Amino acid sequence: MNGALLTLDSVNTFYGPVQVHFDLSLGVPAGKIVCLLGGNASGKSTTMKIILGLLKPRSGAILLDGQPITNLPTPAIVRAGVASVPESRRLFPAMTVRENLLMGAFTRRDRAAVQQDLDRILELFPRLGERLAQRAGTLSGGEQQMVAMARALMGRPRLICMDEPTMGLSPLYVDRVLELIQTISRQGVTIFMVEQNANLALQIAHYGYVLQTGRIALQGSAPELLRNPQIRDVYLGGQSVQQK
Amino acid sequence: MTSWLDHTVNGLIIGNIYALIAVGLALIFGVSNLINFAHGSVYMIGAYTGWVCVAAIGTPLPLTLLGVVVGCAALGILIERFGLRPLQGAPRIAPLLATIGIGLVLEQIAQLIFSPDPRALPSQLPAWRLPLGSGSIGALDLFIAAVGVVSTAVLYGFLRFTHLGWAVRATAQDRDAALQMGIDVHRVNQVVFAIASALGGLSGVLVGMYFNNIFPAMGFQATLKGFVAELIGGVGSVPGAVAGSLLLGLIESYGVALLGTSYRNLFAFLILIAVLVWRPNGIFSSTRQVPPEPLTGTFIAPSKPVHVPRWAYAAATAIFLALPLIWRDSYIIQTLTNAWLYGMLALSLTLVAGTTGQMSLGHAGLLAIGGYASALLALDLGVPVPLALLLAGFITAALGTLLIFPAFRLRGHYVAIATLAIGEIVGLVILNWEGLTRGPIGVVGIPPLEFFGLPLYDTSALYWVSFTIMVLLALLQWRLTQYHLGRALRAIREDDVAARAFGISLNRYKGLAFAFSGFVAGLSGAITAHMYSYINHETFNTQISLLALTMIILGGMGNIFGAIVGAVALIGLPEMFRAVAEYRILLYGIVLLLLVRFRPQGLMGTV
Repeated sequence: MNGALLTLDSVNTFYGPVQVHFDLSLGVPAGKIVCLLGGNASGKSTTMKIILGLLKPRSGAILLDGQPITNLPTPAIVRAGVASVPESRRLFPAMTVRENLLMGAFTRRDRAAVQQDLDRILELFPRLGERLAQRAGTLSGGEQQMVAMARALMGRPRLICMDEPTMGLSPLYVDRVLELIQTISRQGVTIFMVEQNANLALQIAHYGYVLQTGRIALQGSAPELLRNPQIRDVYLGGQSVQQK
Repeated sequence: MTSWLDHTVNGLIIGNIYALIAVGLALIFGVSNLINFAHGSVYMIGAYTGWVCVAAIGTPLPLTLLGVVVGCAALGILIERFGLRPLQGAPRIAPLLATIGIGLVLEQIAQLIFSPDPRALPSQLPAWRLPLGSGSIGALDLFIAAVGVVSTAVLYGFLRFTHLGWAVRATAQDRDAALQMGIDVHRVNQVVFAIASALGGLSGVLVGMYFNNIFPAMGFQATLKGFVAELIGGVGSVPGAVAGSLLLGLIESYGVALLGTSYRNLFAFLILIAVLVWRPNGIFSSTRQVPPEPLTGTFIAPSKPVHVPRWAYAAATAIFLALPLIWRDSYIIQTLTNAWLYGMLALSLTLVAGTTGQMSLGHAGLLAIGGYASALLALDLGVPVPLALLLAGFITAALGTLLIFPAFRLRGHYVAIATLAIGEIVGLVILNWEGLTRGPIGVVGIPPLEFFGLPLYDTSALYWVSFTIMVLLALLQWRLTQYHLGRALRAIREDDVAARAFGISLNRYKGLAFAFSGFVAGLSGAITAHMYSYINHETFNTQISLLALTMIILGGMGNIFGAIVGAVALIGLPEMFRAVAEYRILLYGIVLLLLVRFRPQGLMGTV
């Protein structure tokens, strides 16, 4: 996949004796929103873990802008420009919203620029401006998701990996989050998101991969996938087809 | 009665010392979810480093303190780097056991270098005292208070206002998320161990100067007091640790004023149990919910037990039965008798810690109950010895279960602390209840074991009696854990919530496990008491609990045969090489560390 910001090249991942990924290859072009779809236990979240270096694949390569990051420790990968919006958000509950946002800029030393970015990002998330001094653990799920996304932006990343950003949110916040993802994307940040809700994800994504028991079962542009009868059956509530 | 002001000042001083320990424990628990049992040993090393500076080199006070801080920080970094970091991804129990091993090793090294005897650590502060109310306050008192306040303030500033301090706080709240912010959590761990150890060492040297007395075993009590203080304030909370420490210091000081010095520790441990039961999140928290526990789940290294054919068991039993007839070396026979008694203790512990997953660190308390029960029954009530033994078993089962019962709702780490404290409480009650136990003097002239009126003085006879009883108990335990009961206990170990969802009553089954365990350990303690003919409150100390733990890990947790193998290996082998007797406990510590690192499933495999 030439010109891709993020490339996974025949990655094999294991949990102990259990293989999760089988020669998984995919690419995320710069500036696009790419989603990774799949049911439970298909290996979606594990894909996030190996990109962020929280888990090391047994073989294969992960490239960021052509540079291998496969064996780098997580902090180095973050410094290379990968930010994460983890599954179930994982804020620092006893820290204030402001502190959480600043944690997103932990690897940066340019204090003045960080402060400017904070102001800029708060324009994007006006709700958070009112809650800067509140402890993150006391926010609602939707607000926490906003903090998690804002926190990821604070590191000025090239790529943001989002693990199920709409999970557990009220419909109102789901729309809000999707809009924000598009806004972020328009600012030039590449987005790779894992979603169980294919319908939602494909509405905003440019390209999609469907992961099934550790292999790419299907891929294509978002409109293609939306039209694909298989996808409709399995993910878009056509008929309920039992997955393997 | 001396003035309350005096007791208050005294309580606050002691509280400040506890705070230096408890804050370190809280920091470490925060970032690595680990109760650091080696912390007291670092504190002790701090005291000895201070002694070396003062007595051997003759440094002035500021240099002494600097030496202690730098030395202990370095020690903390070493502990983190070589003791704990290699255990990443190991079962959650592994780092806890490693800190126990590190603690043992440090303590033994200090004993070997400085001898186990106490030595004086003179205060380097002027001896003037400031009259205050009806009492007075000394320069050292003020200095300790100042060190406490300044350290807390510096720590607060560090956590609140520095880049690294933020990283520490973030890591404590969510390690994985911190990693994803680009925080090098290894470095955070290292920094935290350095700070915690420096504070611990500082505390050690100040305590040493305060009492003008240091000794290698001083760390153990300090670790316990630190736990108590930390728990009062809520585990992992730094401000909580400070508040808990001051509170503990005051309560102890007032308690001692009312009841006397020997009650000091009893107070601390009773508070510990009360907090664990009623306020496991600390007294400042409103919930009674047991805190999320890092230790549950895959508790021990899963493995396949080594298969031993039945004829091998039979052959081994026959060989060991015949041994006194063949090998007439009474020293060997005595050593093996000792190993059988420890074997019983290991059987007892492996049922609770291995099969049921309740990490007990106070098992020696059960030996003490059994030993005292049998000795006092025989001496004071004239009960025939065999009957006294049996009764002692039942008394230990009942009393042991009753004592641990309040802690049944706890898990993992908290069980370890609770059992440790209960073990201490047993010893302290024995020490203080002079009317029943003869207090510090101990029980003298315990009648020897007898068999239908025939006293057993003969080494071989004692060997056979202890071996036979151990084998019978092992068979009984094997039979009991083979079927329904064993499955229920293992279910509790693997996931107590799931076990409960399948209708397993936790209280009932934990109760059964502790009762059987108490019976076995009680018998072992009782036989020991009659063999020694003298016991006191220190005969069965925490070192024995830790030794038993090492045995069952060596044998393979939950493995009945393994428990006996572990006992023979750790009691028998060092005795065979008498030259190393001095290094025995050091050896135990090293064995424990190596096992945790390289063979957590033990020799015979876990069951």
